[in-house]
Amino acid sequence: MDFQILTVLILIPFASAVIVALLPSRRKELFLPVGIALSMLPVVLAIYLFVVFKSGVAGFQFVEDYTWYAPWGISWHIGVDGISLLMVVLTAILVPISLAASTSISKNMKQFVVFNLLLEGGLMGVFLSLDMFMFFVFFEVILVPMYFIIGIWGSERRIYAAVKFFLFTAFGSALMLAGIISMALMYAHQNGGVPSFDYLSWLSLNMAPNTEMWLFAAFAIAFAIKVPMFPFHTWLPDAHVEAPTAGSVMLAGVLLKMGTYGLLRFNLGLFPNATLKFVPVMAVLAVIGIVYGAAVAIVQPNLKKLVAYSSVSHLGFIVLGIFALTSQGLEGGVVQMFNHGVTTGALFLLVGMIYERRHTKEISEFGGLQKVMPIFAGFFLFTAFASIGLPTLNGFVGEFLILMGSFITLKWYAIVAASGVILAAVYLLWAYERVFTGPVTKPENEKLLDLDGREKTILAVLAALMLLIGLYPKIALDKIAPSTEAVLDRVQSVTTYQVPSPGRLADVVGGIGGE
Amino acid sequence: MWWEGSAVSSSVNISYLAIGPEILLTLGAVLVLMIDVFRKPSMKVHAWIVVATLAATGVVLGFQWHSAVVDGATLSFSGMLSIDTFGAYAGFVLVGVAALGLAAAWGMMDRLGRRGAEGIVLVFMAAAGFMLMATSVNLVLVFVGLEIASMSLYVLAGITRQTLLADEAALKYFLLGSFASAVFVYGAALAFAGTGSLSMYGIHDFLAANVLLKPGVVLIGMALLIVGVAFKVSAAPFHVWAPDAYQGSPAGIVGFMVAAAKVGAFAALARILAFGFSTYAQHWATGLSLLAAISIVVGMLLAVVQTDIRRMLAYSSIAHAGFILTALTAGNVGITAMLFYVAVYAVQVIGAFAVVAAIAGPEGGSSPLSSYTGLSERSPLLAGSLAFFMIAMSGVPLTSGFVAKFAAFTAAWSAGFGWLVILAVVTSVVGFFFYLRVIVLMYMQEPVHAEAPGAARAALTIPAGIRWVLIITVAVTLVLGVVPGLLLRLAGQAFLF
Repeated sequence: MDFQILTVLILIPFASAVIVALLPSRRKELFLPVGIALSMLPVVLAIYLFVVFKSGVAGFQFVEDYTWYAPWGISWHIGVDGISLLMVVLTAILVPISLAASTSISKNMKQFVVFNLLLEGGLMGVFLSLDMFMFFVFFEVILVPMYFIIGIWGSERRIYAAVKFFLFTAFGSALMLAGIISMALMYAHQNGGVPSFDYLSWLSLNMAPNTEMWLFAAFAIAFAIKVPMFPFHTWLPDAHVEAPTAGSVMLAGVLLKMGTYGLLRFNLGLFPNATLKFVPVMAVLAVIGIVYGAAVAIVQPNLKKLVAYSSVSHLGFIVLGIFALTSQGLEGGVVQMFNHGVTTGALFLLVGMIYERRHTKEISEFGGLQKVMPIFAGFFLFTAFASIGLPTLNGFVGEFLILMGSFITLKWYAIVAASGVILAAVYLLWAYERVFTGPVTKPENEKLLDLDGREKTILAVLAALMLLIGLYPKIALDKIAPSTEAVLDRVQSVTTYQVPSPGRLADVVGGIGGE
Repeated sequence: MWWEGSAVSSSVNISYLAIGPEILLTLGAVLVLMIDVFRKPSMKVHAWIVVATLAATGVVLGFQWHSAVVDGATLSFSGMLSIDTFGAYAGFVLVGVAALGLAAAWGMMDRLGRRGAEGIVLVFMAAAGFMLMATSVNLVLVFVGLEIASMSLYVLAGITRQTLLADEAALKYFLLGSFASAVFVYGAALAFAGTGSLSMYGIHDFLAANVLLKPGVVLIGMALLIVGVAFKVSAAPFHVWAPDAYQGSPAGIVGFMVAAAKVGAFAALARILAFGFSTYAQHWATGLSLLAAISIVVGMLLAVVQTDIRRMLAYSSIAHAGFILTALTAGNVGITAMLFYVAVYAVQVIGAFAVVAAIAGPEGGSSPLSSYTGLSERSPLLAGSLAFFMIAMSGVPLTSGFVAKFAAFTAAWSAGFGWLVILAVVTSVVGFFFYLRVIVLMYMQEPVHAEAPGAARAALTIPAGIRWVLIITVAVTLVLGVVPGLLLRLAGQAFLF
């Protein structure tokens, strides 16, 4: 292949960051438009990638493999499959959107744009890496721009939130680093001396059961903190509430998905035996996350915190779907990763827009906004429905598949988890009621301006995505299914596990998204 | 004698190539002194001499490297000095360290007037001493190198003379440093008593050929040698002098002091242990792993509570000594990691102290962290560089600091020190906390204007030397983070014998 699209996808954001950094400091008005324009390039490439990506192929496509440093066995090995494809698209789409929503950033706009672009490059690297060294590099390097985004442009307690975010996630990845090193050396031990960090060659490692358990734990803690799963979630509300809108959008939209992506790709892929043993633990934590996150979201007086806790709940669904180890569960998990990025991203954007007008996120400060800002209210309700999982919108597709998939193997967990759907309706609709319905109680709210063209465009793009996946999930599921099936096949071939018959895709074709 | 049959020849074979770098540096030092006495030239003349000397030294080291690659290691001066890739690598790093250190301190040297030339001389002598340590295969010569270098550093620590803090730093450094040297000599003596040789070849061959039923003397000698070097590299629990010395010494030169000492002393330690005492690898590897663990924990934890950036960097350097020791626990396997680590850390620490020097003024006594508040607005270059070094030192990827840690951990893990690696990675997270705190101060907090805001702004002129040092050190740290192979390949060829 002549055009190395994946390498280009990773490098364009970094190059864009350099370009923005080199713009003359006096031309303050240029930074944001140039940044948005440059971040449109990955969007075009990602959509092109999505279109040319072959459905029905399980393995990695567009693979590139160059030696990085041979004696260590590290290489620039990248590829995309059905699991990472949507994440790449999501990343590409959310960056220009979150930049476009950041016109109110007043200080150091240049640095802000640069950090957002660096973040995008890192995220692309995480989702495309097939070399564990490379993966770790990107996984870790992402902390830096996000740390700055929260710490410089956040609200009052931003420093506390930024440091907490950094330390929590750094702690998780520290253990994973030890795990990665030990696996590379294990490879060297088993294959004649030369270590390898190649994900695909790690699949052939022979591990003692105990070793596998420890390695699973080392990786799982790193990803569980990132997701975040209960009880590692405490950094999330702080980070979300203090982060600027763009930071929240990227954090909830994509950064959290690094955790679920890692669990699916690496924990299931590399440690299938240990996965089976850990299923109860992960499922329990996921269900606790679902219920606890939703319950806490209900009582939040702060709109942004409410959305933050709803993320804990939604991500619990994704983890549950992954560890259900059924076709539907995995597919639902992957498609829900995308959905959550779109809907929660939109919710954070909405919260950011109202905050820019009123400089408060307290629910009690609002009331009756429907009359003052009807378009805003419409978008909010639409997004809330998508998040709750109203049929015809994207949230339904993901949650339905997850619940169906987990009902097969994790019946009681699924039953408890289903309450999360109801609780989601409670916290979102109740919040809607308090913020938008009734009379306008506060005089400050009477003169609020409705959305302008820029804001409408941003939200319309995301709303269109919600509708697209909701009405025609096949567009995504066709690309996802072969890869998630491959994960299940691997688990079945390495372990004694057999996916129960209704859990195989072949038996339920047409159930959803079929023709 | 009994070891005559081995690689050591008894004739005094003089090799000017082997001693060339040291001779050139000494000549350069003498030239600077003489010209300074008789001509009282401007610093520009000295600058030319410095550039010429370092360039010539670099060329000779290049010949050494070439000779070692083509002919293998060769011994000279009755088996006292070795020309090998290991020594040449350390030499290269030391030349770089001296160049960067002098550039960072140039403003200070300039202001010191007549004593500026002395500063240059001392840097040259220190570099020559550490090179001798790295290339020597005889414990006595290692000691001679150690002393030449240490004496130069003691004086450098107090070169500003009039500041009380600098005097205190110099005195403390001198007293504890001399004590450490004494311990090292004692160790060498016991090693001689136990093996009958001061040559590392001799020790190596004797221990390989004889099974000692009572190895006590040799082991104690070995332990004392380790302790002596541990003092020099400020590994805990032999680190107590470091925070005071780094805080009090003139800011311009501290970076060089830290970096050069680490390069030379670690090179000597690797040579002594991984070659000389390779038979007792299990013993010293365990010892080093304990030293490493203590250094990492003590360095990281105590750095958290520091309110002065120099003390913080001192404790961080103690932790880094621990990380380098972690690499060395793997013996020969860890040599590459160690050599890579000392080189990239040397670059980072010189860069970081260059920022400190720019803020505190080159002779400035203390550098409270509070003076960094809001630095990003006063000087984007200084704040950006320091932030980058903090990120690199804490081991975030795409910086050389990550690659170095990664190499060290891989080596230690392969040597069976998994517990040490896990301890190190977890403690690194503590490190993030205090490294990030500097960034928080510089980028996320508004400057508190105790004095007139204009005064603080005006005071920040960055000397050209420091500006160049920052550009080079940042570039090196970034490039080696992205393309570590550039230096790793070199370090990988630099093995012992």
